[in-house]
Amino acid sequence: MNVSLTAVAIGVPWLAAILAVVTRRQVRAIAFAAALVSVAASTLLVQAAPARESLNPALMLLFSCLTLGSTLLLARRDCTPGTIGGIQFLLGSTLLAYSTDDLRILLAGWILSTVPFFFEQWFGVRSWRPRFGLLASSAALAAAIALIAVSGQAMSIAALKERSPGGMAVFGLLVAAVILRKGICPAHAWVADAAGSGPAIPTALLFNGHFGAMLVAKLIVPLFPNTARDLFPLLSYLAMATALYIAIRALTENSPRRLLSFIALSQSACILAGLESRTVEGITGALVHWFVVTASTMGLFGILRLLEVRFGENLTASKHLGLGEHAPRLAVFFAVFALALVGLPGTLSFCSQDLLIHGTLESHPLTGLLLPIATAMNAVSVLRLFARLFLGKRRTGFTVMADALPRERWVLTAGVLFVVVFGLYPSWIVTLRSAQAETVEEALQVQVPR
Amino acid sequence: MIEDYSQILLVFAVLAPGVLFVVLGVLWLLGWSPVERVISRLTGLTFTASIFALAAIVWKLAVTGTPAVIVTFGNWFTVRDYHFPLVLMADRLSLPFLGMTVVLAGLIGRFSATYLHRERGFLRFFLLLHLFAFGSLLAFAAGSFDLLAGGWEMVGITSVLLIAFFQQRTAPVENALRVFAVYRACDIGLLVAVFAIYNWAGTASFAGGLPVLSGSHATIVCLLLLLAASGKAAQVPFSGWLPRAMEGPTPSSAIFYGAISIHAGAYLLLRVQPIIGQSLLASAAVVTIGVLTAVHGTMSGRTSADAKTFLAYASLTQVGVVFVEIGMGWKWVAVVHILGHATVRTLQFLRAPSMLHDYHKMHSRVGGELAPTGKHLDTLLSDRTQMWLYRWSLDRGHLDTILDRWVIYPLMVVSRLFARLDDVGGVR
Repeated sequence: MNVSLTAVAIGVPWLAAILAVVTRRQVRAIAFAAALVSVAASTLLVQAAPARESLNPALMLLFSCLTLGSTLLLARRDCTPGTIGGIQFLLGSTLLAYSTDDLRILLAGWILSTVPFFFEQWFGVRSWRPRFGLLASSAALAAAIALIAVSGQAMSIAALKERSPGGMAVFGLLVAAVILRKGICPAHAWVADAAGSGPAIPTALLFNGHFGAMLVAKLIVPLFPNTARDLFPLLSYLAMATALYIAIRALTENSPRRLLSFIALSQSACILAGLESRTVEGITGALVHWFVVTASTMGLFGILRLLEVRFGENLTASKHLGLGEHAPRLAVFFAVFALALVGLPGTLSFCSQDLLIHGTLESHPLTGLLLPIATAMNAVSVLRLFARLFLGKRRTGFTVMADALPRERWVLTAGVLFVVVFGLYPSWIVTLRSAQAETVEEALQVQVPR
Repeated sequence: MIEDYSQILLVFAVLAPGVLFVVLGVLWLLGWSPVERVISRLTGLTFTASIFALAAIVWKLAVTGTPAVIVTFGNWFTVRDYHFPLVLMADRLSLPFLGMTVVLAGLIGRFSATYLHRERGFLRFFLLLHLFAFGSLLAFAAGSFDLLAGGWEMVGITSVLLIAFFQQRTAPVENALRVFAVYRACDIGLLVAVFAIYNWAGTASFAGGLPVLSGSHATIVCLLLLLAASGKAAQVPFSGWLPRAMEGPTPSSAIFYGAISIHAGAYLLLRVQPIIGQSLLASAAVVTIGVLTAVHGTMSGRTSADAKTFLAYASLTQVGVVFVEIGMGWKWVAVVHILGHATVRTLQFLRAPSMLHDYHKMHSRVGGELAPTGKHLDTLLSDRTQMWLYRWSLDRGHLDTILDRWVIYPLMVVSRLFARLDDVGGVR
């Protein structure tokens, strides 16, 4: 990757974070400009990268766009120097982890992205579980990289390819890092705690970094192809079981934020299941689904936060609130993102779900059935949330509130266009991801007979 | 690709309602709210043009003796050996369904312009009507099971959104959610069947003839498709959602549960009827479900307290009989039955509100209730059996009770158990 462009993409948000915290003025404008620079730099990186190596720059572009959108979507109440600084810091750290080929820098990016969540003035949460989850995942990754360093190996991912550095101990630690960071069962509860008690948009950004899936695609598969080939079925079962477990768990959850986090977790477990399916269809589906889940969950969390700001933070899914009467456009945006998350035809997730189901059923004909079952349950849960929030009798306690403001409408429209336009013309994005999927599949050196 | 006018007409007929949905929807999002007259005229024009387009296709097929009009757009997306083919097809099976959809959707559009006049959700209703018509046309004109699944899902979601049309009331919203849950559960059958067909036959396209399946493969695929068809057609044991779906406005009930949506399941089975015919088990399963549904429908309908639910159960009974016909291999009898039934039932649904008024008028003119007709064979049964049957029918075959007790309740118990496990050490 072009070093100077990468440095710009990473460095500018970090500078913006410092500037926002120091000057404490025009913070939204500063953050917007910084995220825009990151988007531009990442776009150039995507254009320069060959198709088979475009995953990292594509992820950088996606995350920069998410941050750009989040900056505009943030309610005025949330747009403090601390929040803006934290988001920009998170952006820089995440891009650092995506872009690097060096294990030490990857570890630094991984740890730095969690830092704002340990400080009260940034995104600190009351519950101990998010802090423990993030700390334990960082510790597992640090231990794995330390073991590789101790064994006298190089620190470059390219140099370590197919060499299984550190053997099973390192593999185990990397898998533990994935499970802890990605919120795979039984380490899933911290994500719901973070979403429930932390700031909505920064937590959604942290989760949508999908560092667990990135570690699988970027590190585990290239470094440990043989071990991965043997043990991926087990991991795949675990991911599918997680998708189902959390989908069932979501059925009785009434806190909108926790419910959304469960649905997002369950859908992103599908990403891991696809990556571990060892088929090009499954891996491509996972990579495309990665983009869909990220865009949709950011949109949903953003809308939920806007509703909280307008109607109070004690929203619940236990009764009908009828907010659609007050905010019909927010309701439409929510419905589209919700249905896009669970495979509505005409959205990109219809293609990604199709590929995921084909891939996982091909590699695991029986356990693969868990995936469509989990998706069906998630669809019911997300529609329940929509129905409870937006439909039903209008609450008389609320005064008249603004629907989506122009600034919010533009961002949400861009998100909707992303999932719908690529849903109608998926071949470009699927072909790009398919090229990267072939790289992953070739690394695993497995051809599942048809 | 497109080579002659009949292909252009087929594409137009399928896409027209979808394009209108997108245009009206985007304009609304941009702040334009069209007046009722514009919406109803655009709807009328669209469906009238579609009717003429389909008529021209029928004419062409009749004159040239061509079996089908097929439009191939290549693959929607490709991943190594896996393709999602975009093929539209109008053949002797799909054309009657396509015709039925555009004619009835046009009629419903015309009727609704008056019926929903000054209703707050007027535009929303028409948007959903167009999306539904597009989904149905896509499902009926699909040349591959993948594309059929896309249209199928669209029909499902519009159906749910129309059940929740009167969104200020809690009951329609909750019933819509229940219907959605049943649809999604049964659609798993279709998704897995599409995968199985692709995996075993190497293609999910049927534009050049049905994929070849034999033995246990044929049976498994047929049973999976039967699950999907039963969910969409409200067959036993999934019939419980049908009375709940009557919460929607009458025109949508007419087109969904009297005509198009309720017969989509039968269309799916008709499409794979040659494969069903290969498997004795699948044929027997289709016939059994059809018989059980017909009996359930006629019994439950007789104890229904409102006209729409009574009509819905009457519809269910007929669709049960259609399933029997398909299971027995009487494909064209089933097609004719569907066309006749859909037309009559739509009329009955649309007449339901004014029919009650007419009955009251008639009763007042004859000076009381009309004399009962026919023999009451139920008197041949003992009082105890009659009472049991009455209670069974009144509770709609206990299907919802069974579903609640054996599926939903255990699922909720497990979910709450998981919640308690998650809460250990957590902070709310």
